[in-house]
Amino acid sequence: MKLLTHNLLSSHVRGVGPRGFPLRLQATEVRISPVEFNPDFVARMIPKVEWAALLEAADTLHLVEVPKGPIEGYEHDEKFLRQMHHVLLEVDVLEGTLQCPESGRLFPISRGIPNMLLSDEETET
Amino acid sequence: MDHEAAQLEKQHVHDVYESTAPYFSDLQSKAWPRVRQFLQEQKPGSLIADIGCGTGKYLKVNSQVYTLGCDYCGPLVEIARSRGCEVMVCDNLQLPFRDQGLDAIISIGVIHHFSTKQRRIRAIKEMARVLVPGGQLMIYVWAMEQKNRHFEKQDVLVPWNRALCSRLFADSSQPGRKQPCVHPERSQPYHPPCSVCSCSVCFQEQCHSQRSHSLDYEPLMAGMCCADVSKGGEEENGFSNTLGRSFRSWFFSRSLDESTLRKQIERARPLKNTEGWAQSTISIQPSTHASLDAGPQEPFSTREQNLDEDVFVETSQKQLEWPRAPATMKHLCGDQQGEVRRNGDGNFLEGANTSENGMNAGDVDESPPSASRILRRISALDSTDSNPEETISVEDQQPNVLDSRAFMRYYHVFREGELYGLLKEHVAELHVLSSGNDHGNWCIIAEKKDNCD
Repeated sequence: MKLLTHNLLSSHVRGVGPRGFPLRLQATEVRISPVEFNPDFVARMIPKVEWAALLEAADTLHLVEVPKGPIEGYEHDEKFLRQMHHVLLEVDVLEGTLQCPESGRLFPISRGIPNMLLSDEETET
Repeated sequence: MDHEAAQLEKQHVHDVYESTAPYFSDLQSKAWPRVRQFLQEQKPGSLIADIGCGTGKYLKVNSQVYTLGCDYCGPLVEIARSRGCEVMVCDNLQLPFRDQGLDAIISIGVIHHFSTKQRRIRAIKEMARVLVPGGQLMIYVWAMEQKNRHFEKQDVLVPWNRALCSRLFADSSQPGRKQPCVHPERSQPYHPPCSVCSCSVCFQEQCHSQRSHSLDYEPLMAGMCCADVSKGGEEENGFSNTLGRSFRSWFFSRSLDESTLRKQIERARPLKNTEGWAQSTISIQPSTHASLDAGPQEPFSTREQNLDEDVFVETSQKQLEWPRAPATMKHLCGDQQGEVRRNGDGNFLEGANTSENGMNAGDVDESPPSASRILRRISALDSTDSNPEETISVEDQQPNVLDSRAFMRYYHVFREGELYGLLKEHVAELHVLSSGNDHGNWCIIAEKKDNCD
């Protein structure tokens, strides 16, 4: 699971609503998977990123050189873009958990795949 | 009622895909061109989700966008992952995304697996929720109107085409799984149902994976699968007997609207243990030859096809709307008959078949008149048509190869205008941009309106 994916994920445990974001990440196995750098692609991602969630996740993973936010003229700042590229796309959580910040419910990540299914009881309306 | 719907989907969607997933790791059907086009037209840097991605055939169509694959089926997602895709396991009805995070979503051959109108609406609304204003959603569902086959009902169970897996069988065995059935030559006796399906099929060479399908793992052409009904089949006979009449799986011919379902269950209760009260509407269209849904006549291999399933007509003397049941059987190659049944634990659907195909799922949610009409029919059937012996004997003659272990997949096939109507009436946050038919699928592209709260 990449951090860009994590940035989109929210807990849908009943009753939690927007307080289900962001999910608290814990990782026991992380892999760095090189991805071809596409500056235009990364630049377009920047406005869509929820920064607080990204920084929190990056911090949990002890990542370094993570920009704290978009900088002036980021679209043309290769260093910035490369750093963001790395954080968003190259860090792959293989094993770990995602925790709902409100309910504490844990969603597992196995073999790089988050499992966001709730049980029948949890989804009953 | 939602629980029953979920149970149906578990048995006839999720469990089937999960069990058959291993057979599709190397069978990647082509991406539908219009879907590809939709994806390629998205702006570079878009965040896109394929809800119901299966093995991920659409996930790498556009390298300029970030595409997330989501599917309920773990094994399929694993396959997609092994191809290098970013994927997750989740439920269309509870998408694990924050609001307004995605620029586009595709839902290809998914919504038709939801067994009630309410659930279909919920699934669409969930996708709308996670779209940004201005974001687009493309939905493909199987059409009831097909050129070369006729669906008797909108709610259908479609048997798995074992021939699809037979090619893969030769090289793979699945450790830890149920013993796959041997590929029978026609002359071999019928073996116990395999983990994939229970039919032995006449495998006709021209039906191969070079044919594309609307969905990843749709069974191949109807023409190729004929049940080789071997008379021996103690398994099947024994099976059908053990089920008991009160455990037949009955199915509504129209979609299962919660309120209607509730009413019918309540009122049908006294009839619960009566053989005649319920009808199965398992679908199964006669196996036509090479039923090809696309326009010009072309050889198999060059055409994209919709779900060309083999579907077998369900014939029961009790079904008034199929008075020609025996005649219908002639259409089937292999002359297969029999009811599709589910085992006891799946029996939640009670009620009777509606009399007409005119029961349009696109109609209002609940129409008391229809419900009562259905119930009158229940009584009528009960008193006059109830003759379970007939059904049983039919099966005894020709073993029911479509038993509950045959991974029947549930579909609600859509009538023209139905999907459009669903969005228009129930999903105000989406504005329909275009709709049409693509190779036997109803297709819609809709846009998330601005300023939706």
